[in-house]
Amino acid sequence: MHPGWRRAATIHGSARLTRDVDVVYSRRPENLLRIVAALGPFEPYLRGAPRGLPFRWDVDTIAQGLNFTLTTTLGDIDLFGEITGGGGFDDLRPRAHPVRVFDRDVLCLDLPMLIRVKRAAGRPRDLDALAELEAIADELDR
Amino acid sequence: MSESVSRDPVVEAYKAGVDRTLIRERLARTPAERVEDLVALARFAEELREAGDAARRAP
Repeated sequence: MHPGWRRAATIHGSARLTRDVDVVYSRRPENLLRIVAALGPFEPYLRGAPRGLPFRWDVDTIAQGLNFTLTTTLGDIDLFGEITGGGGFDDLRPRAHPVRVFDRDVLCLDLPMLIRVKRAAGRPRDLDALAELEAIADELDR
Repeated sequence: MSESVSRDPVVEAYKAGVDRTLIRERLARTPAERVEDLVALARFAEELREAGDAARRAP
């Protein structure tokens, strides 16, 4: 798993406060087992869904879905099997680099790729964030 | 940056409002420090939110 664009934006220098973590995850079976084990203790549930739905956090659920917006006792986590403009984990892996945070290495999209997927998402509410990312790119080019 | 990106006039308009001093300040810190700062800021924001909730509940 690796952090997707929002936390990656922080790593690249964004000053924006975000409340969730986006993760693009590998769909390989062994990784689905890891995700279930890693998040299971933190009571993952579908964000915004009414309580009491028969949602089970297990490998079958992840395998039958793709992208999940979750609430957990740690906070909100979005799990992406694919992202618009970037594809899946294996597509993005060459554009992700290890960054040391909290005493562990996490994979983080490089800035041009981050900008590309942000643009591809095409959400009007992201325009501020996209402008900031491009301004960061400008600053790095100075 | 080795990869150039095409310019979108809408995004360029939004860039006029970006605080470059904040960006330079962030870039002066390590990636780990940037994440740690975000966590601290998120905690602060949460404390403010809880304080606001408590104030609204107070008689």
